[in-house]
Amino acid sequence: MSAHLHCENVTVSFGGVVACNKISLDVEEGKVVGLIGPNGAGKTTLFNVLSRFQNVDEGEVYLRDKPITGLKAHQIIQLGMARTFQNINLFNEQTTLDNILIGAHRLLGNPFADMLALPSSRRIEAKLRDRAVQLAESLHLQGELDNLVRNLPYGMQKRVELARALAAEPDIILLDEPVAGCNEEETSELKAIIKRVNEEFGITILLVEHDMSMVMTVCDYIHVINFGANLADGTPSDIQTNRDVINAYLGEDH
Amino acid sequence: MAEQNTIQTRTDKLKQKFGRQNWLAAGVLFLAALAFPIFPGVEGWMASQASLIILYIIAAQGVSVLTGYTGLVTVGHGGFLAIGAYTSALLTKYFAVDLLVGIIAGGLMAAFIGFLLGLIFLRLSGAFMAIGTLGFAFFIGTVANNVPIFQGREGISLPPNRILGLEIEDLGFYYVSLFTIGLITLFIYGIVRSGVGRAFMALRDSERAAESAGINRVFYRTLAFSISAFITGVAGVLNAHIVNYVSAEVYADIWYSVDFLVATVVGGSAVLMGPFIGGIFVVMVPFFFETLADFAYILKGVVLIAVLLMAPAGIADLLARPFRALRRRQLEQAETGSTNEAKP
Repeated sequence: MSAHLHCENVTVSFGGVVACNKISLDVEEGKVVGLIGPNGAGKTTLFNVLSRFQNVDEGEVYLRDKPITGLKAHQIIQLGMARTFQNINLFNEQTTLDNILIGAHRLLGNPFADMLALPSSRRIEAKLRDRAVQLAESLHLQGELDNLVRNLPYGMQKRVELARALAAEPDIILLDEPVAGCNEEETSELKAIIKRVNEEFGITILLVEHDMSMVMTVCDYIHVINFGANLADGTPSDIQTNRDVINAYLGEDH
Repeated sequence: MAEQNTIQTRTDKLKQKFGRQNWLAAGVLFLAALAFPIFPGVEGWMASQASLIILYIIAAQGVSVLTGYTGLVTVGHGGFLAIGAYTSALLTKYFAVDLLVGIIAGGLMAAFIGFLLGLIFLRLSGAFMAIGTLGFAFFIGTVANNVPIFQGREGISLPPNRILGLEIEDLGFYYVSLFTIGLITLFIYGIVRSGVGRAFMALRDSERAAESAGINRVFYRTLAFSISAFITGVAGVLNAHIVNYVSAEVYADIWYSVDFLVATVVGGSAVLMGPFIGGIFVVMVPFFFETLADFAYILKGVVLIAVLLMAPAGIADLLARPFRALRRRQLEQAETGSTNEAKP
């Protein structure tokens, strides 16, 4: 067992509602893996479990074979796992550059040295700034570095969020609905970027997404959950022809 | 690629120039403040009034670290003012310490209590934080009133101020205040531009996103509380020594806390110059409208509401807007200028 990210029998309930019921899944190293399911299937809850914003009632999550359910949310990035959010969660009152720099927070070094602008932390700061600018260039954000992110168009904000996640130099990223609310042009642009992040940076990706054509073209492997439980998993072509999946999405009659 | 580089260097040079202009403006202001007592028409009492303004500004700077940059509204910083004041007063009374020692000790004691308060209030935010900090100020006021060592309403009288062994009067005290505020302003400037400042602002704008970027909420919140309390604690020390007297009558007064918050919000809570404008405003309103007495509070309230409605980022931000627009235009010109050159 050497999946990059692996969860086993994850169970979460809110009062009487079981949001996740013994969900298990594997994300293989270097792959783009999709997590899909009808509304209310428990995808977001599972994502929050993986990024430690949600405690489990039962089960365990392993990141490179290391159990992580005992860690705090802010410790996850130290293990190289970053995430984005469903409805964009940027630092709106700050510039694109600062948003990316906050993403690089874990590379800062000693906060007290940093606060007093000691020479060592000035060097780190200069390096992080250069890297942030490069990252912005590679995501076509170079013209927006000094602009407040709240003034940017939606598709660009999505890219800023991705840049922020990448700034931490993760080796796995969880993307929560990366193209939700994007128009066709923005979607194809983000699709290309996700492909590049995976191929050029060699970063493993787990994404939740409702846009099926995007999931089918971008993902190497797909997990389907329904009513908080595993329903199916396989390659995109397996999933497209899977009877259970078709029934779950379209109803029994089809 | 060559094109890219010309854009970079041109705008970078311009940004460096803007940076130099900022430092120059700050330097000129500081020199003017240094020379203030020898300006024609300046009388002796003005030095002490100026010191009062400075300590209000420092107190508001403390509030701005917590409320402006970290997003935690405090209506209790009068409590930290009192802690700084009493710490230095007791040290001066019983151990005859130097004012410099008093300033550092008062700040550190406030920082320590601020750290504890940050831990206690870890889960509070918004209006709950405001009410919690208000309760803290009342608590400190009650302690000052009732614990014998603080001598309640009778108060503690202090000997004349000595700094580095030298006895100082109003003018000397003004320079002590001036250097203190200079250092504190540099300190805040450094924090705001550092990764620590970014972490504070990240927590303010989105706790979740901040945590997923690896920002330790407990650490940075308590750090913000400590720094904020330290700064206002230092203002408290100055407040004790400007009149050589501390008393529960003064420090149990909740209006200090309100004044500091008003100063921060009116001036601009997340702008370096904000507390300066707000501090001057809060001190000078009762000064110019002495006949208004308590109605001065109404005036402050009206201005507060007007600012919140019309310029929520504060007066300093409002004043900075035209300059920012001008610089932005210059930057844009530099960018398009160099692209045009590069394109045949």
